[in-house]
Amino acid sequence: MAEISLALAASHTPGLTGWFDKAPDEDRRIVRRAYDAIHQAVLDSRTDVLLVIGNDHVANARVNDYADFTFGLAERHTGPDEWFKPWLRVADYALPGAPDVAATLHDQVRDSGRTVRAVRENLRFDDNLSVPSAMADLPGTGVAVVPVLQNCTVPPVPDERACYAFGQALGTAIRTALPDGLRVGLLGSGGLSHEPGGPRYLEIDEEFDRWWLDLLVAGDHERVLAEATFERMEEAGSGGTAELLSWVVVMGAIGPRPCTSLGYSAVDQWRCGVGAVQWDLS
Amino acid sequence: MALDRFNPLLRTNDLVQDLKWDRDLRARFEADEAQVLADYPLSDEERTAIRERDFRRLHELGLHPYLLSQLARLIHGTGEKAGTSQAATELIRSLLGDQYESYMAERGE
Repeated sequence: MAEISLALAASHTPGLTGWFDKAPDEDRRIVRRAYDAIHQAVLDSRTDVLLVIGNDHVANARVNDYADFTFGLAERHTGPDEWFKPWLRVADYALPGAPDVAATLHDQVRDSGRTVRAVRENLRFDDNLSVPSAMADLPGTGVAVVPVLQNCTVPPVPDERACYAFGQALGTAIRTALPDGLRVGLLGSGGLSHEPGGPRYLEIDEEFDRWWLDLLVAGDHERVLAEATFERMEEAGSGGTAELLSWVVVMGAIGPRPCTSLGYSAVDQWRCGVGAVQWDLS
Repeated sequence: MALDRFNPLLRTNDLVQDLKWDRDLRARFEADEAQVLADYPLSDEERTAIRERDFRRLHELGLHPYLLSQLARLIHGTGEKAGTSQAATELIRSLLGDQYESYMAERGE
């Protein structure tokens, strides 16, 4: 039996790499500390393979033929995609993949009721993988990565309960279908509140963000699912805040547990609430 | 105003993706936008809205908001100025219409 060795979630936004220095010192310190903690947690947990679950940002399929979840099966995941380079301003990176793990997990969950794809070629990665990779120096940890890109914004969007159920299926697949002794980590990448391309593009809903983090720290997943619905996320920033569904997938995989907040910062210039958590797996 | 107007069959969605994915098409768009719009299977309504930078109209026709933000970047560039890039502000100016000035004043920007 493989084991879930680590469960984390963190925001991604181009501002963290593209214009990090627009933020006040204290916010930069908070965010730097959070991603340093993520880097250290990957090392300390002796994680072999890290699943990074994150919004696809309409980058890998037509909007009229859009999968709910897409597993990246490439031998190496490289990024960022060319179009995003001037925006993200991160160095080109290459993360080792884990094609066998990705293929096994895809096979286990493809009948879960959602549209689930697996892609052998390198996927187009924007801030979803590039920001955590750069900010938490994932290449420096040596961990292999399986990207799981997700539909958080193209209606019909799999809602909080669908994502939680997918996470449960994923957790079962990790524990039952992967090689003995393999240590598998989970990183939900997305959120917090933001509204890319909408009239509230410049706004962050700090009240929602802090409420969400407090709810997760308390660890009552049924309450999270009852109150932090897809509709509630949309109210806090349409087409962006629901990237928190990636955190919900992680919660489904590990079951009801409290987590620790690694920090939160609301900087208008980043155009996205930035926070991170680590769940207690003990 | 959210995802409620989204139309997965609106061809402008495909055009914005192609502009992001195809460097040559992007270069042609920058050099001769009218020709690219004429060649792409869009409705006249879509062509007019793109030509007039009418982001609100494109939203109403069903362009996905994220792709709308990317179209604004294609047109207005990626430069960042104190966190409110021209692409973002031009997009909001179009979306908010008459309310833009008072909204920005209220935000102190």
